[in-house]
Amino acid sequence: MFNTTINLKSAFQSPLEQFEILPLFKTLGLTITNETVILSLVFIFIFLFFKASFNQNDNSLYVIPHRWQVIIEIIYKMILAMVTDNISGDKGQFFFPLVFTLFFFIVSLNLIGLVPYSFTLTSHLIVTFSLSTAIFIGINIISFRLNGIKFFSLFFPAGTSLALGLLLVPVEIMSYVFRPISLGIRLFANMMAGHTLLKVFAGFAWTLMGCSGILFFTHFVPLLVLLPLIGLELGVALIQAFVFSVLTCIYLNDGINLH
Amino acid sequence: MLLQAAKQIGAGLATSGLAGAGVGVGVVFASLVIGTSRNPNLKDELFKIAILGFALTEAIALFALMFAFLILFS
Repeated sequence: MFNTTINLKSAFQSPLEQFEILPLFKTLGLTITNETVILSLVFIFIFLFFKASFNQNDNSLYVIPHRWQVIIEIIYKMILAMVTDNISGDKGQFFFPLVFTLFFFIVSLNLIGLVPYSFTLTSHLIVTFSLSTAIFIGINIISFRLNGIKFFSLFFPAGTSLALGLLLVPVEIMSYVFRPISLGIRLFANMMAGHTLLKVFAGFAWTLMGCSGILFFTHFVPLLVLLPLIGLELGVALIQAFVFSVLTCIYLNDGINLH
Repeated sequence: MLLQAAKQIGAGLATSGLAGAGVGVGVVFASLVIGTSRNPNLKDELFKIAILGFALTEAIALFALMFAFLILFS
């Protein structure tokens, strides 16, 4: 991870090197990797983030919020508007805690990955895929509990004739089954591609730094390009967390209300 | 050597999928401009939908990028 030896030629390795899971130490049969460390850090961060907004004496919220509480209230209102807009009917309110937790978890994982020498959990397919698959299975169970056998009308678009239905039902089933896959891959591919892009541009600057003479000063050009790219990555980290929770809402709406 | 060359060519070809995604992102924002100019009152609402559409379209582009990486580094 830390390249202390200044060997300019070999210092720039594969841009995918940053996604390696490194075992740090072993205790009680468990291997503590950098992934575990970052995950525990995120949990501690989320706990402290909410803990800091409460009244320290009796764990209640303030009627007149202070600055920290205002931040949480803005996020709360945003997610609440998202849930009520996308899930029609009053059953939508019931799923607000799920969507709020999901958004906060993903946004923290994405943002902690932007810290240099940190590690992006969401750039691993297994993390995003297990999240999206768990959501998919949960939505199916909820939909079956609410709608019973009517759940299968989801695969038959309203107002189609039987002949067209024979063609459309397999297509609908295919698109339904691919939902968790595309949900997981979208987040994973966005985060991985973004971080690789940053590493590639940093690699350009690093290689140019090794040049002598006037060519040395050209390494500022990729570094200048890197600056807006980091801003873009910040936007992507927020947007992808938002998109993940919006799509969860849309899928939940399909499952609850059918169509 | 030949395998290496084939890998490089394949990865290069895989990025050609980005052309379609570029058109897609362009269409999303062109529609946003048209929609906003027709009804400026809906600006905030349309922007939210456009961002969602942008993210969905961009993800398709990233699939191509992912395949390029898979070809190069596996």
